Amino acid sequence: MNLTDREQNGVVIIEPKGKIMGGPDASLLHDKLYEFIEQNKKKVIIDLSRVDWMNSTGLGILISGYTTLRNNDGELKLANVTEKIKSLLTITKLVSVFEAYDSVDDAIESFH
Amino acid sequence: MDKPIITGNTMIIPSNQEFLAEVDIFLEGILRGYGVDESRVADIAISVSELVNNAIHHAHHKDTQKTIAIEINKDKEDIVITITDQGTGFNPDDINDPLAEENLLKDTGRGLFIVKSLMDKVDFKITDKGTSVTITKSVK
Repeated sequence: MNLTDREQNGVVIIEPKGKIMGGPDASLLHDKLYEFIEQNKKKVIIDLSRVDWMNSTGLGILISGYTTLRNNDGELKLANVTEKIKSLLTITKLVSVFEAYDSVDDAIESFH
Repeated sequence: MDKPIITGNTMIIPSNQEFLAEVDIFLEGILRGYGVDESRVADIAISVSELVNNAIHHAHHKDTQKTIAIEINKDKEDIVITITDQGTGFNPDDINDPLAEENLLKDTGRGLFIVKSLMDKVDFKITDKGTSVTITKSVK
């Protein structure tokens, strides 16, 4: 997995690409997320459009980022959730936790 | 052992997360060769990654000297995969419910639940010298 990131309208967008299954690649996403948290960023979107699938390690990284941001008056939201990831979020009831949007623009709009 | 060994449809890896991607490439290649559709390929790949991760973290406590074997077979319309570790065993019923309110926001504890949700059958053979988990997924 690799990832890119950008900022738009005061919102950080993290764009992982590939599979999030654990190991050094998953650490990339975790470390990038926490880099922004340490920079006191409050609005973060994970764009999942290029993620083939993730397992519970990936879900754990999302949850950890979500709760850490929330505890620091910030928010983490999801954009472009694929069908496979949506089914995992549903199976694990995490669909009730995360706000998910059909596009990055919609997710950015939700912060304002 | 410091790198994976492949014999037919079996891959043995050192117990180290750096080999997760190689397991995935090996597995998905075989599944596509069997003509498995992409959605099921993903479900099976997710499940195998969960079990390999469980072996690394829970069975082997990140001891990289231990090994994990992944054996892939097709039996009529079923894909049957066995993941074997060298740990001392566990009780699969002794796992917290990840859907319980108090566990929903924990960042671990969902792996086996996901495997049981995605696969048609999950069987455990547990000894104090190692555990084999066999997952079955119909592909008809």
